[in-house]
Amino acid sequence: MNKRSHYELPNWLSWLKDASGWLLPILLIAFWDIAARYGWITSKILPAPSDIVNAAINLSLSGEIFKNILISTKRAGGGLLIGGSIGLILGLLNGIFRPADRYLDTTIQMIRNIPHLALIPLVIIWFGIGEEGKIFLVALGVFFPIYANTYHGIKMADPQLLEMGRVYDLNHWQLFTQVIFPSALPSILVGLRYALGFMWLTLIVAETIATTSGIGYMAMNAREFMQTDVVVLAILIYALLGKLADTAAHLLELRLLQWHPSFRHS
Amino acid sequence: MPIPNINILRERSAYFNSDAVSNYLKPKMKVVEKVKSNSASGIAIQVQNLSKSFGDIKVLENLNLDIKPGAFVAIVGRSGCGKSTLLRLISGLDQAEVGSISYDGNPHSSINGDARFMFQEARLLPWQSVINNVRLGLKKTDFPKALNALQQVGLDARADVWPSVLSGGQRQRVALARSLVHEPRLLLLDEPLGALDALTRIEMQGLIEKLWREHGFTAILVTHDIFEAVSLADRVILLNDGKIDLDINIDLPRPRQRSDVELNRLGEEILQRILTRPVAS
Repeated sequence: MNKRSHYELPNWLSWLKDASGWLLPILLIAFWDIAARYGWITSKILPAPSDIVNAAINLSLSGEIFKNILISTKRAGGGLLIGGSIGLILGLLNGIFRPADRYLDTTIQMIRNIPHLALIPLVIIWFGIGEEGKIFLVALGVFFPIYANTYHGIKMADPQLLEMGRVYDLNHWQLFTQVIFPSALPSILVGLRYALGFMWLTLIVAETIATTSGIGYMAMNAREFMQTDVVVLAILIYALLGKLADTAAHLLELRLLQWHPSFRHS
Repeated sequence: MPIPNINILRERSAYFNSDAVSNYLKPKMKVVEKVKSNSASGIAIQVQNLSKSFGDIKVLENLNLDIKPGAFVAIVGRSGCGKSTLLRLISGLDQAEVGSISYDGNPHSSINGDARFMFQEARLLPWQSVINNVRLGLKKTDFPKALNALQQVGLDARADVWPSVLSGGQRQRVALARSLVHEPRLLLLDEPLGALDALTRIEMQGLIEKLWREHGFTAILVTHDIFEAVSLADRVILLNDGKIDLDINIDLPRPRQRSDVELNRLGEEILQRILTRPVAS
């Protein structure tokens, strides 16, 4: 009797094992395509994958898709830069200076409990449907994860290392750059990854409600004409952008946290 | 192996390529002689009427102690006898309620460049390479000094790795190099070998003794290992319940043999003294 508990592939097929995680998605997409082609699912509910590819090609040829991706990315980046900077600075300030913490933290925690997407009607009244409103919402969305994780990272700085810094006559600035900030950095980068998630989420909602350009607008506009292929394409682009942002943040972690045993890649 | 800070690699190779530095590094004897020339540089310490309590618990009571410059003093005692507290007060890391501490006759209150402290943990910055840890608080131009200090503890080949890949003993050697690079006149050691295995301890004891003889600083070692105390120190002080219970000189030639009869007799005497005392409440 064969005692092998697993069936082993011959060598020339071993690549299949590496690709095994992709098997199910490929089968699902194949089934989806067949189902759409034979009319089991109407294209008004869900278009065939091939239709989505066609929509992507057409929109690329007209350049419309790139224009919209660029606009959405600008909004996301602008909001991240503004909200992230404020979050980082306030997190550092409140983490390091007790008086600042006493005066500001309560206020920040109160604002945190307002769901920022609930502000959309107010934001439209304040800013109209221009860029400012969307950037404002994204900034608000990314502010809290960065603020909270920076604050937490500073508070978690090892008191033993701080005492060691005292023994070595480090001044306040050296103590900050050599000890406090590097110990907070892993936590700050976790905050950044959360913030990137909030960034796209906020933008998706903001762009579907009040806008005349961007990927969200492209999707909402397509909905009016029942172009489900463009709607699904917009969703896929969001997913892709989200994944790209997360990968970038992960690469940043690998780069900046080389010293950390959990980020070491050999 | 991790990829260390590129600047350091560049800086280091630049130094290695220059003749001045390779000359600086090669003749080890010269360096030793240079340091020996200021071997009278140890600090004299006077502790007067020192008392310290944490809440209701009196840790030190009216303690007096004179330490000669360049001496190697070991402080032993049961856990909680106040030996670490005394060391932290002498360093200026903590403050006493009553009494005074002076360095060379001048009142001393907060830690400064004259004194360096080695903790039970190495306390290296995990995000800096070994050499950058040694350079902490040094000027940029003092790079050869840092490398020389690493060489003295035998870790110059590991200058560019992260501390997390080193063993516990190697980390303490880096911490020792980091202390010595500032040429302190007083080195305070708070059970720095407590967490090491027996073999590494013996090696580290030899290294500390060698560097103390070369540099001539005053050394105060807090330890719970009586035989470590008698084999390293000129003078062993036994603390019990916040007071000095025993203060004996160890006049044995160096380097000392671990099997030396007199050394073992002294160790046994101190140990018996501790064991006959009641445990502090």
